[in-house]
Amino acid sequence: MIELYAIAEQPPPDVPSPLVTVPAGSLVAVCGPADDEVTPETLWHRETVLEGLMADRNLLPVRYGTRVEDEEAAARAVDERREHLGAALERVRGAVELSVRAVGEAGGAVHEPLLALARDAVVGRPQAPETHCAAYLVDRAAVQEFVDTVAALQRTTTNVQVLCTGPWPPYSFATP
Amino acid sequence: MTTTIAQQEVALVDLVDRLLGGGVVIAGDITLAVADVDLVYVQLRALVSAVATAQEKGVMPRMGNAL
Repeated sequence: MIELYAIAEQPPPDVPSPLVTVPAGSLVAVCGPADDEVTPETLWHRETVLEGLMADRNLLPVRYGTRVEDEEAAARAVDERREHLGAALERVRGAVELSVRAVGEAGGAVHEPLLALARDAVVGRPQAPETHCAAYLVDRAAVQEFVDTVAALQRTTTNVQVLCTGPWPPYSFATP
Repeated sequence: MTTTIAQQEVALVDLVDRLLGGGVVIAGDITLAVADVDLVYVQLRALVSAVATAQEKGVMPRMGNAL
């Protein structure tokens, strides 16, 4: 079994061994060995691989744990979904994902000003003690302004702590 | 930026939410053991609570380490 890591576009990206690229029409599946167990280390390793790929590429991260029999099966799985995947890649082209969590009474107050700087957002269900939890799809060129705005909101909003991480591959926006 | 263990933990929670709950679903066959995922989630949620508590006490900076 091999694991699907990400979907990118032709031409195939250079990938470090033991990863492989599998062409599927105008798309490329980036595949690698499947992890035997889930630990913070294996998850960070996957993230590092994807961040390396997204440095100069648009890509769709694939749900962790997606395994197929072999490279032929990977190509088939991608080709069967090429329209869906192509549309999803269009959606995230030139953008990255930023995560924002807020803790405190007025956590929701940070959303509107951040949404104004983003291409799109997915608001999650905050789990106590969080009061706001969302992912923002932000143009690469707008990341610094977004981060500056987070810092400004932190300064100007009382009783709220804002936690921002990223840039992440567009995990939360990987569907068209 | 100062990096603290707490910041790394927040980033880890964000990572787990994304890897295990995000990404495009390609094949019906996601062969991750549910028990593994549940265990990771439970451990991480405990960490988030710890981070929030630390923040209330004003002992950690405001931004995640990944930025």
